[in-house]
Order: sequence, then C-alpha cells, then structure tokens
Amino acid sequence: MGNNKYKLLVIEDESNILSFVRTILEANNYQVIVAKNCAEGKLMYSSHIPDLVILDLGLPDMDGLEFITYAREFSTVPIIVLSARTQESDKVSALDLGANDYITKPFGTEELLARVRATLRNNRYSAESGALAGGKYVLHDLVIDYDKRMVMIANNNVKLTQTEYNIVAYLSAHAGKVLTYASIIRTIWGSSDSGSIKKLQVNMANIRKKLGSKPGENKYIINELGVGYRMCDENE
Amino acid sequence: MNKINSKLFDAIIVAAVLSAAFMINMFIKQTFDTDSLIPMIFVLGIFLISLKTNGYLIGIISSVISTFAVNYAFTYPYFAFDLISPECVFSFIVMMTIAIITSALTTKIKKQQKAYAESEKEKMRANLLRGISHDLRTPLTSICGSTSAIIENYDILSKEQQIKLLSEIREDSKWLNRMVENLLSVTRIDSEKVCVIKTPIVLEELIDAVILKFHKHCPEQNVNVIIPDDFINIPMDALLIEQVIINMLENAVFHAKGMTELSLKVKTKNNIAVFEVSDNGCGIPKERLENLFGGYLERTDVPADSSRNNMGIGLSVCASIIKAHGGTISAENLKSGGAVFRFTLEMEE
Repeated sequence: MGNNKYKLLVIEDESNILSFVRTILEANNYQVIVAKNCAEGKLMYSSHIPDLVILDLGLPDMDGLEFITYAREFSTVPIIVLSARTQESDKVSALDLGANDYITKPFGTEELLARVRATLRNNRYSAESGALAGGKYVLHDLVIDYDKRMVMIANNNVKLTQTEYNIVAYLSAHAGKVLTYASIIRTIWGSSDSGSIKKLQVNMANIRKKLGSKPGENKYIINELGVGYRMCDENE
Repeated sequence: MNKINSKLFDAIIVAAVLSAAFMINMFIKQTFDTDSLIPMIFVLGIFLISLKTNGYLIGIISSVISTFAVNYAFTYPYFAFDLISPECVFSFIVMMTIAIITSALTTKIKKQQKAYAESEKEKMRANLLRGISHDLRTPLTSICGSTSAIIENYDILSKEQQIKLLSEIREDSKWLNRMVENLLSVTRIDSEKVCVIKTPIVLEELIDAVILKFHKHCPEQNVNVIIPDDFINIPMDALLIEQVIINMLENAVFHAKGMTELSLKVKTKNNIAVFEVSDNGCGIPKERLENLFGGYLERTDVPADSSRNNMGIGLSVCASIIKAHGGTISAENLKSGGAVFRFTLEMEE
C-alpha cells in the first residue's frame, strides 16, 4: 500500500466535534477512522488495529471507560481521553485504568496535535527501549543521567534526595503523560496511606524549589490540579 | 444529629428561662414581699420560650412546669402542692393559652419568612436567566452572522477579510465558553446546602495552574506574583477557586482602563490565607462598588443592547464560590489608583 501514516481511531458521538477533529488530524497527515459509539469503536479497533485512540468519555451506548478496560485486556495502544471540564474523577479513573493522557474540552488545534505527537512518540520510546533503561533524558537545559542517577540544569548538578530523584526519574520516563498521584505513590513508596498525597506534594514542592521553578514559569513539570503531575515532553 | 441538637437547644432554653423566672420571683418575694408579680414573670418566661422554640409542645410543657412552680413555691401553702384550688387551674389555663397563641404566631411568621426567601430565590434565578440570555445572544448573533457571511460570499471575500471574520468567531466562542464555565461553577454549588467538596491543594501548584490558564486567555498580560515561600496546603475545590482568581485577573484586563501593572499576592495570617488581585487602572466606579458582587443577580432592567458585561456574572459567581468555601470576599479602590479584589480561605491545620 505504501501508506505509512499513523492510523488514528476517533471515538466521539458529537458529529461536529468529530468533523473538526478529523479535519485537523487529516490536514496534519494522519489517517483517521471514526466510530460514533463504544460498540462500533470496539469493532473498528479490532479490525483496524490503530496506532492511537482518541476517546470521548460521554458516549451514548456505554461509558467510555469501558472501552479502556476492553482495550487494555490485550493491547498497549495509546489512548487519549477527551473529557468535559467537570469530570476530574473520571479523568483520574481513566488514567488509572490505563489511558495515556487526557484533553479537556474545549481544546484548540495545537493542544490536540501536541498531545497526539507526544503520545505517539512516547509509546514508540517505551516500545523500543523500555522504561528506565539507562541513558539520558534532555529537556531544555535539564539533563537527567539515569546511569549516574544525576540531574543537571545548565551543567550544574542539582542535589536531590533519593526520593526526589526517584520521582523525577519516574516522571521523565513517562514524559508527556499525566501520572496520577496514586500511580506515583505506588511506584515510589509501594504502599499508600492517608498522608501519602501530602508526602508527595511536599517532595514535589522541594523538587520545584531545587529546579528553580516559579509559579507560571514551570518549565519542567506541569501540575495537573487534583489529578497528578506531568513532565513536559522534549519537543513541547 | 441536627434534630438531637435542636432538642438539646430547646431543653436548655426551657431550663434557663424557667430557672431565671424562678430566681427573679424568689428575689421579688423577699425584697418587695408581694405575690402579685409572680404569675406575670412566669407568663413572660413562657412567652419567651414559645417565641424561641419550634412547635407547640415545648410551650405547653413549660406552662405545666410554671403552674407547678407557682403552686409549689409562691402560693399558700408555701413549698407544698395544692393542685385542686381553682386559682391553680385558672392560672394553668391562662399560661397554656398564652403558650399556644405565641407558638401559633411564631410558626406562622417562620412559614412566611420561608416563603419570602423562596420567592427571592426564584426572582434571583429569573434575573440570572434573563441576564444570561441577553449576554449569550450577542456573541451568538455575531457567530451566526459571520459564518453565514463566509459561506455565502466565499468567492467575494478576500482572504484577509475571511480570516478577520473567523478570528472574531473564535474570540466569541472563547468568550461563550468562559461564560458557560461560570455557569457550570454555579451549578456545582448546591445552593441549598452551600457546601463544596474540598481537597487539600498546594498553594504554589494552584497559582501555577492559574497563571498558566490565564496566559492562555491573555498571553500579553504580565502578572506579578508574590506568594509565601512556605509549603501551604489549603482545602478547596481547586477548579472553583481557579475560576475565582482567573475571573478577577480577567476583570482587571477587561475593565481596568490604563492598567500597566497587575499583581496576584497571597499572604497568610494565623490560619487564614488572603488572596489579593490588584491593578493600577481606573478603579471601580463608586456607584458600582456598593453592589459589585450581587449586582448581576439584582439587576432587573438589562438594556437591550447591553454590551458584554462579563464582570457582573463573573463577580457574582466569585462571591457564591467563596461563600460556599466559608471565606469572605471584598473589593475596594486603592488610594494610589486602581482597584484591589480580595478573598480569604481557611488553611489546613
């Protein structure tokens, strides 16, 4: 066929939103297949095996979360969730079920394309090299050396504690993806209790201080209020 | 829980008022050596009790107790019961009648107050709806018109003209979205219970998210941020408080003519965090200052050609959000020129 475009499946019931998402994606050289409800989405998914799924949570026949559960049973296809502003709890459960990222409606063209690019790139990385397999992570003037367990900004060593380093390394290994509080806590401390979120927040405050981030000028780590944290992606 | 509390409250009132009446009577009897004032004092006590408690039962119980007290301590034979005397029966009937009449009146007044509050709320809702419909119509008309213009005159309009129309459509829809976000915020607050679901949010993260979002809407406007260095955790509904601060910042951008500096400051005082958005623009007109936060809801005569008055609804929404969080909100003009909007939130212990 000679077609090496990325294949994207968009599951969305609002035809106007679908139409503009499709236009944007096709104009940017992606192949787009669409489904108008969850059942159709599952069918399209299994017959086309897309490279990425964009999923609206409010679907007429089933909850969009059900599609995530369905897809995660046998595949690691990246999933980006579209959600309305009032559903933070849905965002968290979508991420915890295995969605890679979410975009809040209404969203602009650039935001959508940036997330799609980041998610596709991310997935390619982890598919090829696996997480934390050594090497370096570079973001602007920030360098993380996984072999030496060191973080540098503009060639100056940043003195992080063990825990702080572990958090930064975990976030950077999934750069571009929102990691929920629960998933970070599980990875760093193993178990969680009522004080865990506060412990994480205090650590994050220290990390921000050490990285020299000021409110409104966070170059490295984005706060997703009430949901979790996201390391900026290299090309963002 | 509430029911038990109100019962306890009733019992305390009865005990306090009746023992006070009893003491006063003992005092009167000793100093003036007269019995004529005694029933009067008890009648006054029963009146007060019926006024302050709900329903009829408490008033009737108090009149029974009072009858016994008068009979026991203040009528011959002293400090002994003589319940069959006609005097006793008569005073009991009088006291009970007063208790019942007072209770009936109080209940009636309470009902009327409730009905009044209900109709006020209805009126507010109607005004809100009227105001919103007006405010939504303007951008919708312009979107509708611009798109038709483009579709029908696709070949005639130059590329520049088309892009101009399209960017106006984008502006209008962004504005509509902000408006709808405000409305959604209002529905998140249950007006009956006036409570929100609070989670502890780190101040620094909140301010970061706010500035990021604000810069998406107004990329050119610089904000001067001053917050404490400490780790501060504030329980809140983050989306709502974000909305409050963004509304205040945007207000300054849209309404503070001649502004060159916009700042967002947070100070802590004991257990309270004070948020301040200040500008050095033209300040708030005096006649609006009085009714700034409720103005939108009380405005009944929206002019038909009202321009975008996002300020009205934005600030009303801010006030209800902060009220639901148990904080206070205020605005004033600075002596040095410009205006400051202030609100407070309680910090985590």
